[in-house]
Amino acid sequence: MSAILEMKNINKYFGDFHALKDIDFSVEEGETVAIIGPSGSGKSTLLRCINCLTRISSGSISLNGTTFVDTPSGGEAKYIPDKALKQVISETGMVFQHFNLFPHMTVLDNVTYAPIKVKKVPKDKAVARAEELLNLVGMLDHKDQYPQMISGGQKQRVAIARGLAMDPTIMLFDEPTSALDPEITGEVLSVMKNLAEQRVTMIVVTHEMGFAREVADRVVFMNQGELTESGTSEQIFTNPQSKRLQDFLSSMIRA
Amino acid sequence: MSYIAEILPPLLQGAVVSVELFIITLVLALPLGLPFAFGEMSRFRPVRWICKIFVFVFRGTPLMLQLFFFYFFFPLVLNIDIPAFPAAILTFVLNYAAYFAEIYRGGILSIDQGQYEAAHSLGLSRAQTTFGIIVPQAMRVVLPPVSNEAITLVKDTALASVISMSEMMRVSEGIVNRDYNLTAYVVAAAIYLLFTFLLTLVLNHIEARFSTYTRREN
Repeated sequence: MSAILEMKNINKYFGDFHALKDIDFSVEEGETVAIIGPSGSGKSTLLRCINCLTRISSGSISLNGTTFVDTPSGGEAKYIPDKALKQVISETGMVFQHFNLFPHMTVLDNVTYAPIKVKKVPKDKAVARAEELLNLVGMLDHKDQYPQMISGGQKQRVAIARGLAMDPTIMLFDEPTSALDPEITGEVLSVMKNLAEQRVTMIVVTHEMGFAREVADRVVFMNQGELTESGTSEQIFTNPQSKRLQDFLSSMIRA
Repeated sequence: MSYIAEILPPLLQGAVVSVELFIITLVLALPLGLPFAFGEMSRFRPVRWICKIFVFVFRGTPLMLQLFFFYFFFPLVLNIDIPAFPAAILTFVLNYAAYFAEIYRGGILSIDQGQYEAAHSLGLSRAQTTFGIIVPQAMRVVLPPVSNEAITLVKDTALASVISMSEMMRVSEGIVNRDYNLTAYVVAAAIYLLFTFLLTLVLNHIEARFSTYTRREN
């Protein structure tokens, strides 16, 4: 096992607000990592730094052996040129809280668009792969429908297929079930659990403690921009060390 | 009735000129609005300002005055001859492009930030994001206001009469003055109405086609 993602000394400022404070974080190949923590603790920001939706202020990030951003001592974070950066970004797949499917495309086109346009995969191959993935997430029957015609849980499953279609080395999930009705979060979580069992490398920002506990190999707790505690789900949930994590877990259980 | 039959042929000839003016303006102004819309949102300040000033000037002055400018003033200063029809086309195209630019800009700004983020995380280029993801969605948003402008344009073509272009309005004016009879205006009004009616049918059809993906099936 080797680190597929390595983040070192990550700092992020939004104006004066120090959103990420000296974070070191790495993920091994095939690992499922859950990031938990209260709202505004920097979980999503950290995730978004991995595919450059948010640019870090200082630190370094390597993905699959390519260091795409680094910081000379005392300087500001310096990214590699845009074209090479695009290449790195396309090695990540992201699933958003609000799905962000392309509403003007059918389910199938949503999944095939990027492989055809970015990776120049021949159309028939892209379609075959997309159908395979839609089948995996249980959405093959809906491939000709538009996103507006399907439910939130179904949209999120399509979004997962869309992310996987680029054959990413890592899948990023940004609160994938937070916008869903409680009774349909299960269908999305079971797809994600299935991926974890297939050793897809995943980072999941989530409020679903059950999922983090059951599926994640490792759980990371963030609080006020700091990575406060990290460990196996067993350690985090049954033997939390810091006071903040203990408070957070008890508040989650009460809720 | 025989009077109407007598004035109808010249009026229809004028109507053909009006329709030509309408179609050419639309065909040129619709695409021209897009670069101005993007220009207004450009990262480069000079580009942004040029486009903003263009829109400001053409939306901020009367269309009739712009017609005078391109037909009388412009040729005088540059010492060239611009016939009425090209002058009218030039004026209408620039004027409508300014309005379309603002409509497009609104349409583009209405697209959710999440669409850009999804495109970014899939590795799509700027151009792929713009023309594959954003513009097709913005098109649906801008269709109603663009339709509205198109209807307005039908009636605005009448303004070309002020630079002695023999479109329908000027023809009917000539007939009214010649015969001391207002019937020509009534007939012209009926033809304008017929034209906007047909145009509305076409636009509704286009709108219905573009909205297919938002229609729920249940």
